[in-house]
Amino acid sequence: MNYGKPIRILLLTALVSGLAGTGSAIDLENHPGKAIYQRLCLDCHDWDGNPVEGVDSDPLVGNRSLESLAGRIERTMPEDEEHLCVGEDAKTVAEFVYHAFYSAEAQARKNDVRTDLTRLTAPQLQNSVTDLIGGFYDANHPHVITKFGLRGDYTLDDRKRAGNNDFERVRFNRDDPLIRFDYGTGVPKLPDDVETDLTQFRVTWKGSIFARESGIYEFTIRTRNGAKLWINEQDDKKEPVIDAWVAPNNEIREQSGKIHLLGGRRYFLRLDFFRYQEAKSLIELLWKTPHGVRETVPNSVLSTEWSHPQFISTTPLPADDRSFGYERGSNVSRVWFDAVTSVAFEAADYVDENLDRLARIKRDDPERSKKVRDFARAFAERANRRPLTSEQVESRVNAHFKEADSEKDAIRRIVLQSITSPQFLYPSTAFDSPDDQWAKASALALAFWDSVPDRRLRESVEKGELPNPKEVEKRARRMVWDGRTRYKLQGFFHHWLELSKADDVAKDESLFPQFSPELMADLRKSLDLFIDEIVWSDQSDYRQLLLSDQLFLNPRLGKIYGKDNLEGSFQKVSFPNQGRTGVITHPYLLTNLAYHNNTSPIHRGVFLTRNIVGLPLKPPPEAIEFEDSKFPPNLTMREKVTEMTRAKACMACHSTINPLGFSLEQYDAIGRWRQKERGKPINDDSVLETDYGNRIDIKGPRDVAEYAANSPAAHEAFVRQLYHHVAKQSLLAYGPDTASHLEKRFRDRNYHILHLLVDMAVTATSPLPPTPTDS
Amino acid sequence: MNQLNRRRFLQQFGVSAGALPFLSGLPGMSEAFASEAGRRKRLVIMFSPNGTIPGEFWPDQEGAGFQTKRILKPLDQWKDRMTVLNGVSNRIGGDGDRHMRGMSCLLTGTELFPGNIQGGSDSPAGWASGISIDQELKNFFQSNESTATRFGSLEFGVAVPNRADPWTRMSYSGPNEPVAPIDDPRRMLEKLYGRMDDKESLVSVVDDVRDELKKVAGRLGTEDRALLDQHLGLVADLEKELARQDKDEALVHPMPEIDPSIELVNDNTPRISRMQIDLLVNSLANDMTRVASLQYMRSVGQARMNWLGIEEGHHGLSHEPDNNADAVEKLIKINEWFAGELSYLVKRLAETPEPGADGSMLDHTLVVWLNELGKGNTHTLENIPFVLIGGEKATGFQSGRYLKLPAKTPHNRLWLSVAHGMGHGINTFGNANLCEGGPLPLA
Repeated sequence: MNYGKPIRILLLTALVSGLAGTGSAIDLENHPGKAIYQRLCLDCHDWDGNPVEGVDSDPLVGNRSLESLAGRIERTMPEDEEHLCVGEDAKTVAEFVYHAFYSAEAQARKNDVRTDLTRLTAPQLQNSVTDLIGGFYDANHPHVITKFGLRGDYTLDDRKRAGNNDFERVRFNRDDPLIRFDYGTGVPKLPDDVETDLTQFRVTWKGSIFARESGIYEFTIRTRNGAKLWINEQDDKKEPVIDAWVAPNNEIREQSGKIHLLGGRRYFLRLDFFRYQEAKSLIELLWKTPHGVRETVPNSVLSTEWSHPQFISTTPLPADDRSFGYERGSNVSRVWFDAVTSVAFEAADYVDENLDRLARIKRDDPERSKKVRDFARAFAERANRRPLTSEQVESRVNAHFKEADSEKDAIRRIVLQSITSPQFLYPSTAFDSPDDQWAKASALALAFWDSVPDRRLRESVEKGELPNPKEVEKRARRMVWDGRTRYKLQGFFHHWLELSKADDVAKDESLFPQFSPELMADLRKSLDLFIDEIVWSDQSDYRQLLLSDQLFLNPRLGKIYGKDNLEGSFQKVSFPNQGRTGVITHPYLLTNLAYHNNTSPIHRGVFLTRNIVGLPLKPPPEAIEFEDSKFPPNLTMREKVTEMTRAKACMACHSTINPLGFSLEQYDAIGRWRQKERGKPINDDSVLETDYGNRIDIKGPRDVAEYAANSPAAHEAFVRQLYHHVAKQSLLAYGPDTASHLEKRFRDRNYHILHLLVDMAVTATSPLPPTPTDS
Repeated sequence: MNQLNRRRFLQQFGVSAGALPFLSGLPGMSEAFASEAGRRKRLVIMFSPNGTIPGEFWPDQEGAGFQTKRILKPLDQWKDRMTVLNGVSNRIGGDGDRHMRGMSCLLTGTELFPGNIQGGSDSPAGWASGISIDQELKNFFQSNESTATRFGSLEFGVAVPNRADPWTRMSYSGPNEPVAPIDDPRRMLEKLYGRMDDKESLVSVVDDVRDELKKVAGRLGTEDRALLDQHLGLVADLEKELARQDKDEALVHPMPEIDPSIELVNDNTPRISRMQIDLLVNSLANDMTRVASLQYMRSVGQARMNWLGIEEGHHGLSHEPDNNADAVEKLIKINEWFAGELSYLVKRLAETPEPGADGSMLDHTLVVWLNELGKGNTHTLENIPFVLIGGEKATGFQSGRYLKLPAKTPHNRLWLSVAHGMGHGINTFGNANLCEGGPLPLA
């Protein structure tokens, strides 16, 4: 690189705390580190930090802090002559390297990173189509529960006794926390002011149910009597999910039905139940969620509030590219294209079937034709993410009404075209500039919900509010409180904690007879509850995710994890004496990060290093597979791993991986506390050499958690990973110092995760402008 | 939409209605068809993961008189149509662990790009850096009017997990362009036989969508535009298909019956496997494609074959040492099961007459069964269990023998042989250095 003209860079305090003050500029051309670099480094690294030909080295690019980089240089550079560059020299050259090309900011400056054109990811496509249609039912529909339970309408009547036309009847209603009633030979409990000797009854429960995850839900009705269940369907003439209306022999039976739901949303629920001249009556509503086991539908997901119907596509979408470390829509394929077409057809069918309600058309409505056209235009416009040009109105709406054989056909075509249009599938193509207010609304909706703007956001744009950053932030703060945001954030934590590994976990049955799908489902729920409680509390403190000594256990888990006397449902249990510390000692992670018959300090250590402590790891220089059978059987796992990674080449990374992994050795392959392995006491003490050159005593996982909770590298990694999940673009495309700005705000506000999320969504509305077309 | 609605939805759009299928574009007994019939060449590749158990796979005796051992026993019926190939090895080095290279270099015969997907060992890697043999032959067939078919190739999957990485993809249409298999029989059925009523709607919007894409693409930089150009290519393909559809004629072989409500779960794997095989044979019989692949699970796949009484995941078992008799027995059973599925595929081909010619479709269809590893617990890429069945009239290969080639024969040479057998006389395939010696002596 030619440093002919001085490059002046404005530094932020947060970036180099302790080394430079706010606003100080660094002059790379005359930087004293440049001379040192020239003298000591140029044999192997060129002026861009790339290895010179014939040298086996990676480019000098990374995410260490400046201090860490200086420590690294002091200890390891120049290779075999490390004494040549120590102390102030190491610091000085590190500063040059850091600002010239090493840091992400330097890279961003050099490479001029901008947002890439991406299509909607699979979840974004599903959510966007669902809300594009659902917005016409009721534009103002936060997916949260404020009143738990279901509203039950009870009717007692003995038709036979009273005659068909004029019979005695008693009606009342109340909210029930959940559906699990055994009435025996009696009737439902009567309110205090009701007295009757009627014995036949029926109940209709209505409300909504919150789906936490996306996927197939299996509902089960357990009853002696007649019952029907509808989910996401308000019309009781439509086919129910479960039809158990005919009850043979008053015997207890179970009937199930399945439905596909998108996570982070409430769905209308209706359960009809009746008892008629049967000896006994009983009803229970159960479900099995994706990743869950069958259980009574819990109170925590039931709401007495209704929900409008939602279109849920059942087309399977191909997996999104995850080669960037997060899922993003960076490729198209025939399978994807066909799937989009299929989704568009499903949507067209749905709109066609529900047109009257979507377009608010009454029976024999004299304005029918106008309403259909208004709806069609609004639909095309919302899919386009901003108002249509008159040319677009012509080609996307009017032309179809002119050319199609019927109004019905025209609507189908308009839906089809809207959903397959580039502006819908590639959101950024709808706007000439990211400063367009509609672009900001679209970016906010994608960041929080992976979806399209709702009515409030659209109104905000129409009122001209969004050029004002304060208004953007105000909108953003409101958008946090929606089930869809919960779902998106939950997706991040599942990604961060690598929960997809759980799908492949199996354990040696003879060693771990407790291991079962039920155990995995319980543990997943336990982890979700733990994360939820911290993230959605007032403090929303990231550090608590690492430091809390509590686990959520139900009685089943209690028996396995050392709390025998639990009763009821999930509850918080403290483990002050087992070193339990946040997510890193949660049994679900410890189970996933272990072999089928033993722990795996390497898997655990790599996870802690990369995801929690936030240090980069290079790929292993040579392939060594851990083969248990090759070691003498009396060795502990720690001894085997130590032996296997003894070589100097291995220790470059394993000096970090091993101490971190060993810190969790007191938890076995299903995360139970243990004090011995093969009769030998567990040794989980080690020394972690940090990049800052100091040595930290690690005596168990709490030391790791405390180190991570206070480490800038860990914060940086957390912020970067969360941002990628939220915006699905490189953080550098939002300006070179955006990362450090977000990190600083995160620190300044006590590591408040939800505040950070709001900051990120606001950031996502302001990418650097695109570079000019190069055609 | 619930399951029941979904079923109705499928019935409404193309599954059970008896009228002319939308988007079929199928040649009937037209002139071109008749003159070309009898000279067709086809290739089917079947993949199963995690290595074999060599002791129960490789026959003892070379040549024509070989006896099958347990794993190949289900294929006994086809012994005189079969070549068991010993010595063929995946010699591709470079980035990626052996499962990744085993999978993504298997059909491509070329290195993986460096990338950031980290395996259990070795350096991280990305997608394969070249085209796979099935896609190479697809392009070859599609470039000639007399051998072109509606799809060119079809990629079937069975229980392939919904994630895209080098362990799950073996077919590549070019560098960095993995082809996802379709593992849902419902979707495959829709792809093959389409949704009838919707053609007109699609025709009415496809022009506009194309114009909008072009307009939007014009405003973008080169890199971003490439993505939309790809999308435009897909729209153009669709337009061609819609145009061909006008030349519809009756199907030679009727659409197979598929239960549209089958759920894609582990325990349904045996049923899904048979559905996919039926669809595959059907698509070949109707000349929708001449190249097909059938991918079971994925490299490192953890299928739990409860239907064989095996509770453990397949990959976990494959790591067990040779002296774990229980694991070995289970792995033999697993591989026997795959051989049984292959046998069913071969049987379906053998009982389907070759359109417009004597004999069966098997005579004109080369079936190759392969694996990403030689042996599971060593992760070796040498001595991969390759089995070739049928297709003699297409390829001129001699079958009915156990052929031992020199150790470490690069598998690139096998793909050269297959290409030549299909009439595609290329000199190298994949890594050219590994093609020395040219095609293998299979004729």
